[in-house]
Amino acid sequence: MNQTLNSIPIGKLLRAENRQFMAGCRVSELETPAMGALVRVSLEDGIQIYGLITRIAIYDDGLVRQLVSGVSIPVEISADNRHNRNLPVEIHVLTVGYAQNGKIFHRLPPRPPLSLDALYLCGEDELVCFTGLGYGYLRHILRLAEDPVEEILLLHLSKAAEAQREAGREDWYREAVKHLIGLLQEDYQRLNLVLDALEGLEL
Amino acid sequence: MDEQNKIIGYITGGGLEANLQARLTIAAQEVQAGAFVVMDSGNWRFYSLVTDLQLCAVNEKYAQQLSLLRYHPALASMLNEQTLYTQLAIMPALMLDRGPEPGSPEYLEWRASGIKDERPMPVKTVPKHHTPVRLATEEDINNIFGVEDNKKIFRVGNTREQGHPVCLNLEKFVQRSSGIFGTTGSGKSFLARMILAGLIHANSASTLIFDMHNEYGPDSSSSDTGASVSGLKSKFGNKVQLVGLGKGTCFGNMQADFNLEISYGDITSEDILQLSQTLNLRETSAGTLNALYDSFNKKWFKEFMAMRVGGVEEDPETGKKTPSSDSVAFWAEEVGINVMAAESLHGKLKRLHGRPYLVENPDKKALRDITDKLMNGQHVVLSFGDFDSELDYLLVTNLITRKIRETWENATNEYHKDKKKEPRPLVVVVEEAHKLLNREMASQTIFSTIAREMRKYYVTLLIIDQRPSQIYDEVMSQLGTRISGSLGDEDDINAVLSGLSGRSALRGMLAKLQPKEEALLLGWGVPMPIPIRSRRYDQVFWEEVLGGDATPMDPQRAIASLYGESDPDE
Repeated sequence: MNQTLNSIPIGKLLRAENRQFMAGCRVSELETPAMGALVRVSLEDGIQIYGLITRIAIYDDGLVRQLVSGVSIPVEISADNRHNRNLPVEIHVLTVGYAQNGKIFHRLPPRPPLSLDALYLCGEDELVCFTGLGYGYLRHILRLAEDPVEEILLLHLSKAAEAQREAGREDWYREAVKHLIGLLQEDYQRLNLVLDALEGLEL
Repeated sequence: MDEQNKIIGYITGGGLEANLQARLTIAAQEVQAGAFVVMDSGNWRFYSLVTDLQLCAVNEKYAQQLSLLRYHPALASMLNEQTLYTQLAIMPALMLDRGPEPGSPEYLEWRASGIKDERPMPVKTVPKHHTPVRLATEEDINNIFGVEDNKKIFRVGNTREQGHPVCLNLEKFVQRSSGIFGTTGSGKSFLARMILAGLIHANSASTLIFDMHNEYGPDSSSSDTGASVSGLKSKFGNKVQLVGLGKGTCFGNMQADFNLEISYGDITSEDILQLSQTLNLRETSAGTLNALYDSFNKKWFKEFMAMRVGGVEEDPETGKKTPSSDSVAFWAEEVGINVMAAESLHGKLKRLHGRPYLVENPDKKALRDITDKLMNGQHVVLSFGDFDSELDYLLVTNLITRKIRETWENATNEYHKDKKKEPRPLVVVVEEAHKLLNREMASQTIFSTIAREMRKYYVTLLIIDQRPSQIYDEVMSQLGTRISGSLGDEDDINAVLSGLSGRSALRGMLAKLQPKEEALLLGWGVPMPIPIRSRRYDQVFWEEVLGGDATPMDPQRAIASLYGESDPDE
């Protein structure tokens, strides 16, 4: 695995467990992360933990409540609150794999990352590397209970498919859909929801 | 993997009793019921038949949903590919110990451990889950049905999907009675002619053909196409003898080699008793017939029929009337037989006495000639000509087959004693068999005895019929090899399959045969059941069988044949 991949820091970890973790970032940093994107946390022992962004949440604080209840909010106050607010934007990440000694695994890491570890957005090369290994990591997404799985899949697969296509793997998306059908064929309703979401993507 | 060994699916379940199930991985249309498939699992190679194809779905809802209306065609196609599939029902028939992979150390060890019996055997186990299923190659078919040698191993058709040759072992075929069935127009007569041609060419057995419609001996034309159809006589010349029943009976435009006239002396009381039902004989007839034989020996029929019924003489002195010395009553009283019973029998035997082919002194001993020729390796086609009543069929076939039975039993007993000359196997071919072998008539003919007991005396039956359900069960159960074309009636299908294992699986195959040129081979004479596209009985067939000798006989051979001389080419 190429350790010099083009990665962009997008936040720091707030809390974590093996299956998922949450990072916080400033509103000013919010332009980069997006739902379905592949992110990475590098642990001190060299393990890289990979995850997909499943939810981005902005919670209110006392000041926001006061401002919202006011008659009007001056532009500079609004901008100040957004950029200097006390509560960070929360980025929820689903763990989908890890890399160790240059080898990628589509399974949960032996231990979670630690708080304040940096969260990086993976570049296209890293996305191609991680998703090119196979489709085993998709099972982690399908296990999500409270998030819109179809939308996460749609966003992730469209990004990954584009990256793979540019890397020369035209059939990657097609195989991914086959894999998904295989995983979900016993669940008629859920599979149809997923396929409804993927309908717009070109095979 | 080459196209020949293309995997068509994999085993998903099943067993020996309920058939195996396999999931098809190619389009359903590429496989037909009856396809011969092969599976390699461990050391075993399994030879099996596809008996059914069923459309299945992972979930019934996928089958109900028209995905194409909901999704992009490519996506719909992917969804359908994975959620809808075809399941094959596979009837395992044979398995072969093929040992470990050739070239592996285990294989060398296996070979070194002793001579292996590599003949296929009936299945006793099943292939494991996910064993790949492939269509049989020509080599597989050859391993099971043999390689055509245009003699004993005779090609009767080809597999339907890939056209691999399917052969019949004629030596085995003649060892037990067999049957060829099919509705009118299904090609059973062509099939029968073809197999008879194979038997004659292979010199596997002599054949005696009771030809009800002059189809087998002389050339004829196809009832469907009007095309000319070669008969056995024109292709085999002197090897095949055409015999007409009664003086003047010929085979269409073709003269008979000789005519069969039966001497009164050849009729035994046993022949008459076998006609009890047809002649409506009473229970007393047996006693009367015995008495006739005791009185006149072999001349009983002639003497009896010469008697008068009701002939009386009057004593000129007393005026008392007594039976005349040439009357039935006179003879009956003399030997202590009921007069009415004797007169009744006399009246009933008049039906026979009037048959033109029954004569006191025939020109030649044609009946003996028939058995001699058959014993010496020739083949006889008997035409009934205009004598097509039930009584004619029964009487003549009974007389001939009784003679055959005696001759072959004696020959076999001789052979068992001195081990010198093994009797020539004989196949008695009965067309329209239900006329002679239905439930009512079977007891009156010797054919059920032939089917049941004569195998050990080298005589078997080949029955050809369109209504197998009308044939006596006891005869049907004795049939070793059954070759059936299309049959429409459920009872006929059941009759053909009676006594065979895997009937329910075979029933579907039999019911779905094409109306023409397809047949199912099954029974003892074939290693495993298999549907075939039957070989065509045409000029190409003759060229393949006889080589350059396929054209009709040249004039010299024809003349030699006409005078019963041996074939100059032989």
